[in-house]
Amino acid sequence: MKRNLFLALSLLILASMALAACGPAATSAPAEPAATTAPVEPAATTAPVEPSAPFEGVSVAAPNCDYGGEFKSIEAVDEFTVKVSLCVPDPAFPSKIAFSSFAIQPAEHLEATGGSPLENPVGTGPYQVASWERGNQLVFSRFDGYWGEPAMSKTLVFRWSTESAQRLLELQSGSVDGIDNPGPDDFATIEADSNLQLIPRPALNIMYIGFNNNPKVDGFDNSKNPLANEKVREAIAMGIDRQRIVDNFYPAGSEVASHFSPCAIPNGCVGEDWYGFDAAAAKALLAEAGYADGFETVLNYRDVVRSYLPDPNIVAQDIQTQLKTNLNITVKIEVMESGAFLDAADSGKLTGLYLLGWGADYPDQTNFLGYHFGAGSSAQFGDKFPDIVEALDKGAQLASDAERAPFYEAANNAIKQHVPMIPVAHGGSAVAYKAGLQGNPHSSPLGNESFAVMGNGTDTFVWMQNAEPISLYCADETDGESLRACEQVTQSLLGYEIGDTAVEPVLAESYEANSDLTEWTFHLRQGVKFHDGSSFDANDVVTSLAVQWDAANPLHKGNTGAFSYWSGLFGAFLNAPAQ
Amino acid sequence: MANTISTLNAEALSLESVSLWSVTWKRLLRRKSAVVGIFILGLLIFIALTAHWLAPYDPTASMLDIPGYTGQATKRLPPCIHLLGCSQEEPQHIMGLDGNIRDEFSRLLYGARLSLMVGFATVTFAIVIGTVLGALAGYLGGWVDNAIMRVMDVLLAFPSLLLAIAIVTVLGPGLINALLAIGIVSIPAYARVMRSSVLSVREMDYVSATRSLGGNAYDILFRRILPNALTPLIVQGTLGIATAILDSAALSFLGLGAQPPTPEWGAMLGSERNQVFTAPHLVFYPGLAIMLTVLAFNLLGDGLRDALDPRLAHVS
Repeated sequence: MKRNLFLALSLLILASMALAACGPAATSAPAEPAATTAPVEPAATTAPVEPSAPFEGVSVAAPNCDYGGEFKSIEAVDEFTVKVSLCVPDPAFPSKIAFSSFAIQPAEHLEATGGSPLENPVGTGPYQVASWERGNQLVFSRFDGYWGEPAMSKTLVFRWSTESAQRLLELQSGSVDGIDNPGPDDFATIEADSNLQLIPRPALNIMYIGFNNNPKVDGFDNSKNPLANEKVREAIAMGIDRQRIVDNFYPAGSEVASHFSPCAIPNGCVGEDWYGFDAAAAKALLAEAGYADGFETVLNYRDVVRSYLPDPNIVAQDIQTQLKTNLNITVKIEVMESGAFLDAADSGKLTGLYLLGWGADYPDQTNFLGYHFGAGSSAQFGDKFPDIVEALDKGAQLASDAERAPFYEAANNAIKQHVPMIPVAHGGSAVAYKAGLQGNPHSSPLGNESFAVMGNGTDTFVWMQNAEPISLYCADETDGESLRACEQVTQSLLGYEIGDTAVEPVLAESYEANSDLTEWTFHLRQGVKFHDGSSFDANDVVTSLAVQWDAANPLHKGNTGAFSYWSGLFGAFLNAPAQ
Repeated sequence: MANTISTLNAEALSLESVSLWSVTWKRLLRRKSAVVGIFILGLLIFIALTAHWLAPYDPTASMLDIPGYTGQATKRLPPCIHLLGCSQEEPQHIMGLDGNIRDEFSRLLYGARLSLMVGFATVTFAIVIGTVLGALAGYLGGWVDNAIMRVMDVLLAFPSLLLAIAIVTVLGPGLINALLAIGIVSIPAYARVMRSSVLSVREMDYVSATRSLGGNAYDILFRRILPNALTPLIVQGTLGIATAILDSAALSFLGLGAQPPTPEWGAMLGSERNQVFTAPHLVFYPGLAIMLTVLAFNLLGDGLRDALDPRLAHVS
């Protein structure tokens, strides 16, 4: 009896030694950064169509442009023509309206669901929602009346797991056909496995360390807040070795950010490069600001893997170590729940540093600098900097990239001067599939992979992503895991090319703008059917957009009612209740 | 008759020269499983006390920040042991490097300090409060007993880890709050043990004697009843330390206990859980450490239970 016990113990220790000695070598993940192409404007062709039956077009218009938003009116000119008038010129309008938040659903369906079709969206896409078992899986079935190329698989299943090890295991065991974001350490495993294929996703994103220069927290004394001091922020910017973070904790294909926006975005990296790492200079600057002995602060983040932040815990701890070593700043790490964290960041309630990132929705500076630092941006960085806002406002209204360049250069330089955040990395990530899939297995720089164009030879295709969608009414979601699910079902007037960022016509066959880019006319595709069998026409377009735009619309409900993308891209809501 | 009494007295006298503790200790050493427990525990306490001398590196320092470090500073580097053939030029890392390029061995040693502290602190907290509550309930009886024990029943009705998670969620994550939460959820066990001991001892003759000699409630409770009710508490406490260490590791695994960069075994496991296949040493060693510690306390607790039980005095 006692002998056995000792024997078991010694065996255990032996086994531990053996395991330790046989541990696999640390892996480095090879991946090629793919170049992204600038958006190409599709040739505008006019296709006026005479309505054959009496058609009563609806329209919504703002009385004037003083309400602060970009839209002036949306009008169904005839059954298959929609005209949008804007208050200001917007060269990025096609890119914006192509985004999946502005997808078209039947007006009747929006009315029937009271403006929140959270689980049963009706769209025009290749797949329709079949069932959603919350917490388990989301099942789509092929829509046989689809206007385009029919989906390759009869059934599409979305599953999810936050653990990268589980996702990989499911892929290796063959129970799923594709997974999102394999762990950075698993890249080599996947590439070495002849049954699997790894498709790198271009790094069209940014991970940054944010500061709030004036947190909106009751009883918070901002005069004692070191982060309100521009010199302190600049010292932190110089005191963090970003190269070390990217080299050690990011997969191949990632790069240190020289600017907030990736260089693949037009005018993405004009202006001066970001501060280089210089611990001594940073220390001196911190002393000059009156914090020679450092100070205490917190670092908030959410424990959620995104392509811009593949390993949040590790990166957060390295930043903690660096700040302690280089600047004697003591950082307390506080992990938050994803939703609570985003709420707190957007409403300006985070008092210390925080790790957040942004993946491109469409390839334009308005989606990067404009969304974060422009006039309509949230309170996440505290008080806005007038010089940044002014440069961005001017840049957004000019048509050509060359004309816009000086303004974005000024904005980038002003951002470097004020340090509202520290751009850290453009994170490389990947999608992994089984080898030998049919069709076009791809990854998209925008994170909106389309599964209609790939199949595994059977009726069912299974995709596993990081998390469950929050809802399927993407007008009121910002989470990429939700958007990807919506994109299988609903479509917008325009869309992005599969696996690319160029804008292509989808529900609008063509569009044209007037010379000052304030009036946009969309000529709709005819014969398109919704999943519920109803026909697609101009009134559906007007209603789908108007319920987002008009806060007084009885269908302006959504999931939380925030409609963040609308306000982020187009400014204020019509009839917004007074604050 | 007189003869018998004097013989009994003589026996009593000769027994008195051997204290309860030395008897217990001797009986404990007769049980090999308990000896294993004591050995592992002794080793752990030694490691905990001397971690700052034993550990080759600062447990929170990244190899990248160590001046003059010449080795390969790659995250999740597998163990490098010179004896097992690792190149002499490479600095030795018995358990490899973790995800933040820190020495896993040093972290594990410091983790022993933390785990033992957690175990002893929570159990001491729970025993002190549980004993007072249980003794009061058992001695006073009536509505006091009812009130205290019903509250304890409510606490017992929750699964302990879930209740601890709920408490930490309210108090906010952190090691101290986790200690408090684990302490609170383990109170009822001690209160119940104490109460039942007090109930059985309360009516003993020597207590009646003290009472009739005019001893006040304090005397009776703390000088007569408590020392005689201590035995089951010691056993429960030893086993409780094991549970407390396991619970705190579970809380830290979930990110509710020790906060980074604290080298806590549960937190070390949790942060590397996705590397089970790519870097098994990072989940294996902390897991092994937790297992050994919990095993040690359980073996010791089992041994103590048998050693302290007078009915088993002659069984070895």
